[in-house]
Amino acid sequence: MKTSKIRIKVNGEWHELTVPNQKTLLEVIRGDLLLTGTKRICDTGECGSCTVIMDGKAVNSCIVLAVEANGKEINTIEGLSQIGKLHPIQEEFVAKGAIQCGFCTPGMIRNDYDGQSPTGASGLPAASTLQGSGSLPGSMRTSPGPRSW
Amino acid sequence: MENFEYFEPKTVQEAVGLLVKYKRAAKLLAGGTDLMLGMKEGFVQPRYLINLKTIKGLDKIAYSKKGGISIGSLTTWTAILSSGAILEHYPILREAASLIGGYQIRNRGTIGGNICHASPSADSAPALMVYGAQCVVSGPRRERVIPIEEIFSGAQKTSLKPGEILTGFRIPTPDPKSKGCYLKFSPRKAMDLPIVGVGALVRTSNGTFEEVKIALGAVAPTPIRARKAERFLVGKPVSDPSIRQAAEEAVNESRPITDLRASREYRLGLVRELTGQAITQSL
Repeated sequence: MKTSKIRIKVNGEWHELTVPNQKTLLEVIRGDLLLTGTKRICDTGECGSCTVIMDGKAVNSCIVLAVEANGKEINTIEGLSQIGKLHPIQEEFVAKGAIQCGFCTPGMIRNDYDGQSPTGASGLPAASTLQGSGSLPGSMRTSPGPRSW
Repeated sequence: MENFEYFEPKTVQEAVGLLVKYKRAAKLLAGGTDLMLGMKEGFVQPRYLINLKTIKGLDKIAYSKKGGISIGSLTTWTAILSSGAILEHYPILREAASLIGGYQIRNRGTIGGNICHASPSADSAPALMVYGAQCVVSGPRRERVIPIEEIFSGAQKTSLKPGEILTGFRIPTPDPKSKGCYLKFSPRKAMDLPIVGVGALVRTSNGTFEEVKIALGAVAPTPIRARKAERFLVGKPVSDPSIRQAAEEAVNESRPITDLRASREYRLGLVRELTGQAITQSL
């Protein structure tokens, strides 16, 4: 088994791991770091539930290799709320009833907010995406309910 | 996914060396938005994976009025969408980029990867074709430059020789009097491939077509130029009958298949409709 040593900064904290080369960033986040807020659903880069922010850009962590993330800064849904206080986008999701079963919500929120700019990744003011266009390209809601793609 | 040996070359020469050494057992990794799916499904199983993202400078965009634009093969769609030069001079490419995947895919997917994956439905291909893009190819021998049409040799096949790497594109500055568009027909607004994609770049003068470039995606084993339609239109008056006839020519040049996205007949109908629309919108 060929492995690589990687160092990644997740939600502000550096981690050093040795990973098999074929391991995805998603598998490291969920399996090694036990940050299970990031979800695995389609596992093919379509649904967006595994979205994390890597060096300021929203990416599908299921189609990023862990070795590719070496030296990079990753932010997951766990990195968004501050000591028990929800981020305004999270508040907005709650207030607008955007959560149904909630399984894909972390990915949607990370897709909407890259944590860098005052706007969401969509280019619209953060948290306004769902109210505005009613859609969030790159996120497919999987529970029954209004179509979101 | 199968285990593989992983490389992070720092230069194109180093990557070429690895390709020469490991030949068909090696795969190049760009954005990974296509390759990773193939590896997960098991129909691509490289024993050696060469990550090109660690080579500095392959993701650069540089523009000069005289020389046109050069776009590195590792340039992401997001970078293309935030380029002022592309916004100003190559709006058709920008339009195509905006229609690819979703945010996350555009943050990772690259223009070189899109072309080297060589899908007949590659959204960037019609745009690059109508602009007369050239591909810059490095390899064990001298660097060579080939027209974008010549890089495709079949469905998911390129004409790159063993050890060769597509390092970027060069596109001349389009005539400021020309106008164009890329029309993509797909059932979903995002995260979808085109059933048919049509790019057009048109220049007219005194009510006559002077220069016409039309390129079609997902209607043949490779993206194609609709050369008969182009030739037909040049010198013709700008009128509905000539546009209709050009669309008919484009239909005759298309060789679509029936697949899960659409039937052959449906695609031919779309070629007729979208080619006409694309020319009209480019006036």
